[in-house]
Amino acid sequence: MSAAREYFAAIRRAVFSLADGLSVTVSYLLRRPVTIQYPDRTAQPVQRLLPERSRGLLEVDVERCTACGLCAKTCPIDCIVVETGKDAAGARLHTRMDVDLGRCMFCGLCVEACPTGAIRHSREFEGGMARVENLLVRFLDAPRPPAKPPKKGEEPPEKPAGSIIRSRLPGAFAPARRCAGGPDAKPGGAA
Amino acid sequence: MSEIVETAGREELILNMGPHHPSTHGVLRFVLHTDGEIMRLARPDIGYLHRGLEKLAEGQSYPGYLPFCDRVNYLEGIFCEQAYAMAVERLLKIEVPPRAEALRTITAELNRIANHHICLGCISMDIGAYTPFVYLLRERERINDLMEALCGNRLTYHYLRLGGVAHDADDAWLKNALAFVDKFERVIPEFESLIGKNEILVRRLAGVASICGADAVAYGLVGPNLRASGVDWDLRRDAPYSFYPRLSFEVPVGKGERGTVGDCYDRFLVRVEEMRQSCRLVRQAIEKLPAGDIRAKVPRVLKIPAGETYACVEGARGELGVYLVSDGSDKPYRLKWRTGSFAAMSIIETVSRGLMIADLVALIASLDVIAPETDR
Repeated sequence: MSAAREYFAAIRRAVFSLADGLSVTVSYLLRRPVTIQYPDRTAQPVQRLLPERSRGLLEVDVERCTACGLCAKTCPIDCIVVETGKDAAGARLHTRMDVDLGRCMFCGLCVEACPTGAIRHSREFEGGMARVENLLVRFLDAPRPPAKPPKKGEEPPEKPAGSIIRSRLPGAFAPARRCAGGPDAKPGGAA
Repeated sequence: MSEIVETAGREELILNMGPHHPSTHGVLRFVLHTDGEIMRLARPDIGYLHRGLEKLAEGQSYPGYLPFCDRVNYLEGIFCEQAYAMAVERLLKIEVPPRAEALRTITAELNRIANHHICLGCISMDIGAYTPFVYLLRERERINDLMEALCGNRLTYHYLRLGGVAHDADDAWLKNALAFVDKFERVIPEFESLIGKNEILVRRLAGVASICGADAVAYGLVGPNLRASGVDWDLRRDAPYSFYPRLSFEVPVGKGERGTVGDCYDRFLVRVEEMRQSCRLVRQAIEKLPAGDIRAKVPRVLKIPAGETYACVEGARGELGVYLVSDGSDKPYRLKWRTGSFAAMSIIETVSRGLMIADLVALIASLDVIAPETDR
């Protein structure tokens, strides 16, 4: 007899606990959905919604770079290459500034090491590519004399975040995004 | 895939579960010897996610290895970073500023809540309830947003630095964190009525795969798995470190709520209770947050005096330790990780004897094993 009582008590408990759980689910039916349809139904481009510190793809402003090579030395996985040479008159030349974004693990140690703020994280993250080799970004087109360390208060103006990497990674940000907030007007505007 | 072996007049079917299987967490393989639905043996086969993280340390500078710590276990990055940072700081004999310690504690406890979200969600998903997993992911998203605003990344935080933390938390962030904790404490009862007290879930977990306290200690189980077996042991209270001595909290222990002590349901309940305690800890740490520096002075090129040390923290899966040997150069001579998942994996073979196949899934989920941490 007690076995039968226990059996029906269990059924009773199951029905009540299920109803309890379903009441939670039903209460959510009446609220606004939490899910945001990424990427083309966000109010703004997602890059702008990210917090300031967000560590996106690396970008290098060669006009600020002194070619000291600290970033390459700090990088735990050696994905940055900085090379210098000499011109005909024997002056120092910055000859190479490559970042392999396919290997980068976005730790931010290079950004912390950089004395002039030339290397930094953009808030761009959509670097999808058909070929991984295309993620090796060369920030220097032709050899140039490295920047002088700026005096206090005379730092060159900062370029808008993301503008450098957008111009250096053709194809990655290509598909036009329809955002609810109107036409896409990201700085640097490759998209 | 499978074969039939005859042992002592009994037919056994050898079955491979994994390496890719929806209910194994990460790339993990089990070799099952089954007799019908009953399991004679379930042997875990680990190593698919071996990345050589211990060997990698030997080629890295001391600060350069920190981002790798996040990858030891991607669900509890802060704890891995903290264990490693504590080991190096102990060898260097540097004192971490109190504000940095408090920030480490706040982020660690948030990280613990996020980890338990995944664990509890996976337990319910593995035994067939999908909805709670999605609800928990929604809550976890708020923690990810908080961590991204503070650390710069959502999963591989790289927030700690040797001798402190990378960024200071401003008042707006602390207010957001408090708001999250306030809201989340109201979500826990909702979660409990959604799934935690559900009779079907209770019946699938209660009394299944009990581990007694003596076994748990013998196999080196740690953290929530050990406490669910009735052993009251928590490094935050019993070997205090960081900011914990200044905070008050309770250590939940398994009581055999609906079945036996140390069954899957106890492991489930202990984690739910731990999330409550983590909320308390975050609130207290924010209230008592001291002013001051967030980083001790550490030389740029770190040469660490020769010696060896062991530092451990109470991670989301229990004791997470680093054994570090330095030979006086700027790179670790040897580094060894001690992780909770590895011990939890070793007990599966013993506990799974005589279980049903479907209960094995509940056992794996409730032990919260995670393959990258096991394999390193």
